[in-house]
Order: sequence, then C-alpha cells, then structure tokens
Amino acid sequence: MTVSVSLNGAEQRRPSRFGRMLEDRLPYLIAAPAILILLLVGLFPLIYSLIVSFQRITMTENDTSFVGFLNYAELFRDARLWASLGHTAIITAIALPLELLVGFLMAQLFIDRMPGRQIFVALLVLPTVISPIVAGATWRLMFDVRFGPIGQILSFFAGEPVRILWTVNPAFVYPAIIICEVWQWSPFMFLLLLAALSNVDQSQLEAAEIDGASYLRVLRAIVLPAIAPVIAVACLIRGLDLVRIFDIIWALTEGGPGSMTETISLYTYVQGFSQFEISYTAAISFLVIALLTLITTLVLKRMELAR
Amino acid sequence: MKFKTFLGAAAVLTLAAGSALAADKDAADTAVEAAKKYAGTTISIVWEAGLQSLDPLNYSGPQWEKLTGIKVKVVEVPTDQMFTKIMQDFKSGAGAYDALNVIPSWMPDLARAGALEPLDKYVDKFGYRDELQDIAAAYRDNQMQYDGKIYGFPDDGDVMLLYYRKDIFEDPKMKDEFKAKFGYELAPPKDWKQFDEIGQFITDKMAPKVYGAGFFRTAPYPQYMFQERFRMEGGKFFNADTMKAAVNGEVGLKVFKQMVAENKFMPPGVEQWNFVDNLAAFLQGTTAMTISWPPYGRWAAGYGSGEQALKWVPKSQVAGKVGYALTPLGRPELGVGFDLSVSATSKNKEAAYLFIQWLNSKKTSLERVQLPYTLRDPFRLSHYASEKYRALWPDAAAYLDTIKTSGEKGLLDLSLLQQDKYDEAMTKAISSLWAGEDPKAILDRMAQQFDAITEKVGVENQKAVYKVWAAKPGAYPQ
Repeated sequence: MTVSVSLNGAEQRRPSRFGRMLEDRLPYLIAAPAILILLLVGLFPLIYSLIVSFQRITMTENDTSFVGFLNYAELFRDARLWASLGHTAIITAIALPLELLVGFLMAQLFIDRMPGRQIFVALLVLPTVISPIVAGATWRLMFDVRFGPIGQILSFFAGEPVRILWTVNPAFVYPAIIICEVWQWSPFMFLLLLAALSNVDQSQLEAAEIDGASYLRVLRAIVLPAIAPVIAVACLIRGLDLVRIFDIIWALTEGGPGSMTETISLYTYVQGFSQFEISYTAAISFLVIALLTLITTLVLKRMELAR
Repeated sequence: MKFKTFLGAAAVLTLAAGSALAADKDAADTAVEAAKKYAGTTISIVWEAGLQSLDPLNYSGPQWEKLTGIKVKVVEVPTDQMFTKIMQDFKSGAGAYDALNVIPSWMPDLARAGALEPLDKYVDKFGYRDELQDIAAAYRDNQMQYDGKIYGFPDDGDVMLLYYRKDIFEDPKMKDEFKAKFGYELAPPKDWKQFDEIGQFITDKMAPKVYGAGFFRTAPYPQYMFQERFRMEGGKFFNADTMKAAVNGEVGLKVFKQMVAENKFMPPGVEQWNFVDNLAAFLQGTTAMTISWPPYGRWAAGYGSGEQALKWVPKSQVAGKVGYALTPLGRPELGVGFDLSVSATSKNKEAAYLFIQWLNSKKTSLERVQLPYTLRDPFRLSHYASEKYRALWPDAAAYLDTIKTSGEKGLLDLSLLQQDKYDEAMTKAISSLWAGEDPKAILDRMAQQFDAITEKVGVENQKAVYKVWAAKPGAYPQ
C-alpha cells in the first residue's frame, strides 16, 4: 500500500522502497559498465603483471609457482638495468630543459601579432604530428656520413670534409638523440607556452612597462609566476614521455654503440620481446611504475605547495 | 604348372613395375598428390619480410594453390622479429602459423620449448628421406635435427663468400707493384694478414675511387665474421668442462684488433654500413673486396637486373669483373640460413608438412633458388650441378663451385640454448668496438655476459647442448 501526500495541491505517488533504492544507486549503476571496462582494461593487466612478476616465466619455462621476490632481487644485481635508467635520466635531464627553453623562446617570438603567424605556428607544430619512429629514421638519414645534409653543411662551413659518425661515435650519439628529440617536441612546449603567455594579465605587463621595469624583471616577477602551472604540467607530461623514450633511439642507434644509449624502455623491450624473460620484464615494469609514481607525486606535491 | 608359373611371373613383374613407378615419383609429386585431399584449406607460413617472401607470394604459393587447391597465406615478418613471433604464437597456443621459416641456430630453443613439430613420421610417410640426402652435408648434417629428430628442412644455402675485383687483381701494373712490395702474387687472400696487406695496397693506390675492401659493419654480419675469425685463429667460445666463456683471451683480442684496424683502409664511415650500403659500394665499384652472402654474387653479375623487385639494387658496374673465392683462412661462416618447419600448434600439420616437402624437394627448390628476385641460395648437390643454373651468366659455374666448396668447409653458427642472448652480447660488443672502446674491456664484458647467460640457462643444461654442438664437424676447425 502506498501513502499519497499532497504537494502544491498535486497528488504524487511516493516511490517504493525498491524505487528509492534504485534512485539512490542509479548513478552507480549507470557508471558501473564503464568502470568495469576500465578495470578490465587498466587494472587487470596491472594485477596480472604483478602476479607474473612473482613467477618464473621465461622463453622455455612456464613456471607459474610463487617464487617470492626473486625477480625483484635480480633487479638490484642487473647492472645493465641501472645503466639504462642512468641513460634515461641523462636524456631527460638534458632534453627537457632544452625543449622548455626552445619552446619558450618560440612562444615569445610568436606572442606578438605578426603577418602569417598562424601559418608559421602550424608549420612549427608539424614535427609533433610525425611518428617518433619516422622522425628517428629521418634524422638517421640527416646524420648519414656520406649523404646526410648535416655533414655537408658542416663540411661547407669547415672548408674541408667533416665526417662525423653521429650514431657510432660515443661523443656524438647523445647529441644526435637530443637534437632529434628537441626538434620533435619543442613545438609541443611552444604550443602550451604560447597559450599560457597569451593569458598573462596584460594590465600587469602594462603597469610594469609604465614603471620602467626591465624585460628580465617583468619575466621573473610577472610572466614566469603566471605561466608556472602550465610549465609544470608541460614538464610533467614531457618528463614522463622522456622516461618512456623508445622510438627515436630505436631508429637512430638501437641503444648502441654497445648499450651506451639503451634506455629503460629499450631494455624492457629487449628483455620482454626479444629474450622472453616475461616475469623479469614484469618486475622491471613495476620498478618503472614505482619510479614514475614517485616522480609524479613529488612534482604534483610541489605544484600544490607552489599554489 | 605352367599357368602357375605364368601367374607368379606376372605378379613379380607387376610388383617390379609398381616399385619402378613409385621410385620415379619424386618428392614434389608425392607431396602434391597427397595434398590434394586438403584442397580448399588455407595454410599460413611465416617468411622473412622483403625479397625472401616474394618466393611464396609470387611463385611457390600460387603454384601450390594451382597444383593442390590449398591456399597459402604468407605472414611476412622481419628477421629480427621472427623468433619472437613464432614464440608468441606458440606461447599463446593460437596456432596462427602452420609452417615456419626457422633460423637453424634457433632450433634448440624452439624444439625444447615444443614449438616445432618433429617431422620424422611425415618424412617416412611421404618418402622424403632419399631426397634429403641430396642436401649438401653442411646443412643436412648440422641444421636439420635436434636431439636426433628432424625439426626442419635446410632450405637456404647461406654461406659467406669472398668477392673480389678480377680486373684489379689481374692488372699487370698492380700485380708487379704488389709482388715487388710484398713478395707474393696479388691474388685472393689466403689469410687475414694478406687480406689486410692487399686491402691497404689497393686503397693506397686507388682511393678515393676504389678502396681495398668494404664490409657490412652493422648487425648482424660482424658477429658472424667474429665467430668465423675467432675459431679460425684457434679460439674456443667456452671451456667445455666449466662452460666458462673463453672469448676474452689472446685470440679474441687479436681478432678484435684486426677487425677495427681494417676499417682504416675501407671507405670513411664503413662502421655504419649495412647490407645495402656494402652491396651498393661493391656493385658501383667503390670497393675491391667484400665478404657477404651469395646474392651479392648474382647481383654483381647483373642477374635479375630487369626485375621490378630488384629496382633498389644499384645497377652493377662490375658485371663480368667479379671473382669468387673462399674467405681468408678457408673456412667461411655459414651465417644464418633458413629451415622450413611445421608449427607444433598448427591445425593443418599434414598440409603444412606437404607444402614444405614440396618447396624443399629437388624439383621445386631448383626453380626457387634460380628466382632472381628472392634470396634463397643453392643448397643441394643437384643445385650446384644444375646445367641450367651454371649457364645463367658467364661465371655462374665458378660461382656455384665456390658456394659448394664454401658450404663443404663452412663453419656452423654457434647454436646454444637462448642463442639470441649470446648473439646480442656479440653484436653489442662489436658496436662498442666500432665506437673506439678498448677491445680488451669489451671482450671482458662480453665474457661476463656470456657467463651470466649460461648461469641463467643452467650450466649443466648448456654444457650438454654445447657438447653436442661442438662435436659437429662444422663447429670448430679440426
């Protein structure tokens, strides 16, 4: 039996207990399939990898028994793993500030209205839409000692043949990778920073100009604080990308000479898909996840504090 | 009585005629007849991407379908991913592949993992044993079996040959000057000291137009060159009792130092050269000597130059000027090769087997090794002796004779459990060598990596596999 109450003169039926329950839980029910799919797609592989990392699955063995922290202990003895992390850190530490600087300078250049600005911006952004493996292969040709334009340009300026083995000579392999990386991803920084610079409070800039503040002072006191959150997010995104860098290096050096430019992604790929150390690769993945989570948390915390 | 004798004689004659007919039926025909019952099915085969796969795509696949009604789906995979793809399919149990191209040095791993189907029962069922005897011993005895069972049919006569410019080596002025300087004839080098002297001499005389030699210096060739030279200089990869790596001794050091020193008389930037760079340099006449797989010889002679698929191969400027010889020290590396195998997870094992028997048979393989656009090299005695092949270009007979001798003397690629890890260690070591790192330090690191791999695989397991491999006639020079 239902009890009717009169509201604004109109009689309305009071919802049943089931109806109320349905009403309370409707948002959850609607969201449930999506959450379930997300869990299946995202969380299941993660949990599965975690389980595998405590097993001993290799090319020839399918040992799914629990082996404890064997694979994790192996991580600490694996010099090549730590070297690859070191290489990743070197590339990130050099490429990230360079990308930021180049992106910022480009944004400064294009902040003012100028004829053909939109066309230039579109052209400058082109490298970011190219697949990194294609970018790497293109730069490999550019660096080619016989046919590459870079060698020819350098030879022209030097007045004698300049033969640099960019992908072989240890002194040049990192510059080669970083040049390619900065070429491809500085436009990404440029786009974000251009948008941020466009939103800097013009009245503050005008007031500073009237007060006779120098460019550097304006930059330090007004512009940088205003765009700091965007810089932080841009650095976070690119930083995470750089930690995962794979394609460009694969196309340029394949991690060589020796293992000199082998990054953590390359090493993980080799272990997992070339040498079939499935469980060990899962352990490496969790090490990387832990490191990335730590870095992201620290950066976000710092951003929060800054705010 | 007479009638009985007549009946007996007739029966004997009928049997004899039947046997003779059966004997006349070759392995290709047998495979075709037996395969007709599978008409309408589709089999998939993993094949190396690029030129190699034009064989099943353009020639053997369509032929097989015409003869048997079985469709062939070619799964093209780059060489460096073939092992991975085969293992992934096996591990997943998907059975996506029926037949496989397998590099012989992978056979221990794939066979032990259970990814390959043993073929002995099919070989007997379809009478293929006799024709297997026609496969050159180097391949048949070393690349066909694991643990006493047949897991693949050797199907590619890969072996390294020395190619040299006859016109330069036979030039009277060059010959006289060379003899006056070194005291012996200018001829294909018998050892690496001669190779270095000849190479430097030609570079001094003719560079930058022509350099003494050029090599394919990026992976995977240099590690095969190292394997060959290291063993020919007396090196052993491991101590057979302890399985400790022995690559970092005096022999390894000598070979590494020689290899890096040779770059000096080769064209600038040779350290970056791949297969095509080296081919282009030799075909354009920029290098006087090179060592590579047999297709170089065919292309240098201009064989197949009108083929659409070979448009990327530079037009040979040296046709008719190229000589063929054994590599220095006379025991060339067999270097890679391909076996045809059947996947253990195939759902069409017999149809797949019949296809590879037909491909590998005397009759079909002779046609396949003559396809100008693919990379399959002669591997049967009947290929080397084929009058048709020997007449394909003026020096084809000399080419086939050199391949035959090289194959007979060929050194096997190292083939252990998880061989790809040892290969990777060698490849990385050599790329460090080109980067100028200290050879001793590189060799020590390589030995450490070898030991770590061996330990991970299991010393005793690996020792047993190494023992079997090392006992083969082509493993170490006697």
